Amino acid sequence: MDTNLNTILEEIRQNPFEKQVITTPHTGVLTFSVKEGAQVKGPGGKWLQRPGSLLFTVERELNSKKIFSPCAGEVSWLHTELEGSFTEAFEPVLTIQYRLTKEKVIERILKQVLTVFAAPQRARYFLSPDFSAAMEKNACPAIKPGDEIFIMSLMKRDTILPYSGDGGVVQNVFFKSGSIVDEGTPLIGVCPPENLESIQKLIAQVRSEWE
Amino acid sequence: MTAEKILIANRGEIAIRIMEACLVLDLDFVVVYTPEDKESMHVELAMDKSHDGVKRAYCISNYRDPNELFAVADATNATAIHPGYGFFSENFRFARRCLARNRKLTFIGPRWEVIRDLGSKINTKRLAKKLGIPVIPGTDMPIYSEIDAEGIAEELFYSQDQQGVREPSVLVKASAGGGGMGIEEVHDLATFRQVYRRIQNYAKRLFGDEGVLIEQCLRDYHHIEVQLLCSQHGEVVHFGTRNCTIQSTGRQKRVEIAPGFDPSVCNYSFEAEKTLEKVVTHSVKLAKHVGYDSVGTWEWVVTQDGMPYLLEVNTRIQVENGISARIARISGMNDYPSLLEEQIRSAFGDKLGYKQQDISFEGTSIELRIVAEDTRRGFSPWCGTITRFDLPMPSSSWTTHTHVPSHRTYTIPTEYDPNLALAIIWGATTDDARVKAKEFIKNTRIEGSGPHGEKIVTNLDYLENRLQNILIF
Repeated sequence: MDTNLNTILEEIRQNPFEKQVITTPHTGVLTFSVKEGAQVKGPGGKWLQRPGSLLFTVERELNSKKIFSPCAGEVSWLHTELEGSFTEAFEPVLTIQYRLTKEKVIERILKQVLTVFAAPQRARYFLSPDFSAAMEKNACPAIKPGDEIFIMSLMKRDTILPYSGDGGVVQNVFFKSGSIVDEGTPLIGVCPPENLESIQKLIAQVRSEWE
Repeated sequence: MTAEKILIANRGEIAIRIMEACLVLDLDFVVVYTPEDKESMHVELAMDKSHDGVKRAYCISNYRDPNELFAVADATNATAIHPGYGFFSENFRFARRCLARNRKLTFIGPRWEVIRDLGSKINTKRLAKKLGIPVIPGTDMPIYSEIDAEGIAEELFYSQDQQGVREPSVLVKASAGGGGMGIEEVHDLATFRQVYRRIQNYAKRLFGDEGVLIEQCLRDYHHIEVQLLCSQHGEVVHFGTRNCTIQSTGRQKRVEIAPGFDPSVCNYSFEAEKTLEKVVTHSVKLAKHVGYDSVGTWEWVVTQDGMPYLLEVNTRIQVENGISARIARISGMNDYPSLLEEQIRSAFGDKLGYKQQDISFEGTSIELRIVAEDTRRGFSPWCGTITRFDLPMPSSSWTTHTHVPSHRTYTIPTEYDPNLALAIIWGATTDDARVKAKEFIKNTRIEGSGPHGEKIVTNLDYLENRLQNILIF
């Protein structure tokens, strides 16, 4: 595996920020709890059990839903006109600019260095029960072409999606089981067994070098 | 416009049909849509019809979230909710909640108690038995025990054996299911347990109730429906029968015909008209017994020997309501009726204003459900982008309902069924209707490509083939 980690890290260091747009999860009357330019905290605690800073609330059917910041950063844009008004679902509300965390950097690098198995079409994807069980037993389970590892749910029908590509071990799952994934978006990253050690070294290196 | 405003809690062509009914009745409306449906014509038309600058289309997270619907209803001052079909149309808890909230909403459908009583196949079966209405041999209560289930299946296999049935089998059904979901056929007792467990799991996962029904599987039957319309003032009329036997492998209807049988195209081994009369009489009897007060469909199976058995009651407007309306004439009215308009009027407490003797029937109507699916591969859904969608212009021979735009490309959402359009054909006779249906298919042009450039697949050829043998056993 000829990966120049330093080059990739250097590229990331030149622009170590990303923006995340926060949208309303459903309809309701919106009330902001932050202002533009505010610094917000992400979830904390050993198990991320403490929520991040409160961003806004959406009230619907006499129930208030509190939306907390999913990451630490700065509120770089706020859709202030929505304050106090009835808002539709998935309306962009604010943007948080945040510095890439170690995990995000590792994910970016893995997408470049691993053999990626991408979604063949836009659909809802699930990990198959057998593969989920294998992941629970072993963080990096081995797979080979033809293994039934995904369930693709499309137009109310479930289809088993077998893995196609080189055999190896699953180093990373890039999607949340049960979510809608666009065509071409990586689902899993597979690493040949002989490269496993170097990939793990690479991850350890990022963990130690990325502040 | 009147003070009433209807929230249309559905998508696709039925949302458009409800919108059109609202415009005829001079009622205001508002539609909802999910991000996947942003390109649907029901959203575009709702925007177009609001030249007054009032917003009439709202994005929600999910059609199945009642809080979303109530939130939009409150924000837009809607006074009623039309559930269309599917989603909340047969959910008595939703209908009850419309009335139980501080800001009450009219549920456009039957009273919630009626939905509760007839929504359960088991309860319907029990009620029917009580009134002497024939039902399919089998259980009339949900079975939760594997041992009980096996005992019932054994009995049903034995009785079929005694009757000399050539290929005896039983159906295992999720008792809370519907729309053809959660039904499997078992041919021998050895595999029964496996199927029973599968359906039980499915029922628990999808409907939250693992109760299972076990019934004798009837063969060579026709699926007959009776269309009823009732008002809150005790008026009950029927709009004849439909034959919905032509279905996909997933028990989804594809071609429907009204009336249910036509002795001029087939020599039935029984008196077809008398059988249809019988199912209508039984349906009206049950409707009167429960105090039904909206549109509803009584579903029956009629076997080759002309024996009718009540299957279930659909307490909602059906997709195929248009063909029943198309063959009906009400004295004093110039055009054929709209059952959606009648349903809305009835929900707001209007009297029907006509009796059964004012309704007459004329000709045959056929509904074609045009779907993007591969009929040669188990009706597997096709998804991709439609680049050309030209349906023949509406005429006295046919009307169409679709949410697919013809003036721009349209990507079929992957979250829903790939239904494209409904065509309602009318002919003076069944043969005339069949010829016109074929002409309609011949003049339909649908083009498109899938994610990897593959050509669109539709069921048009399948529909044309199935038209050869409609209404015959």
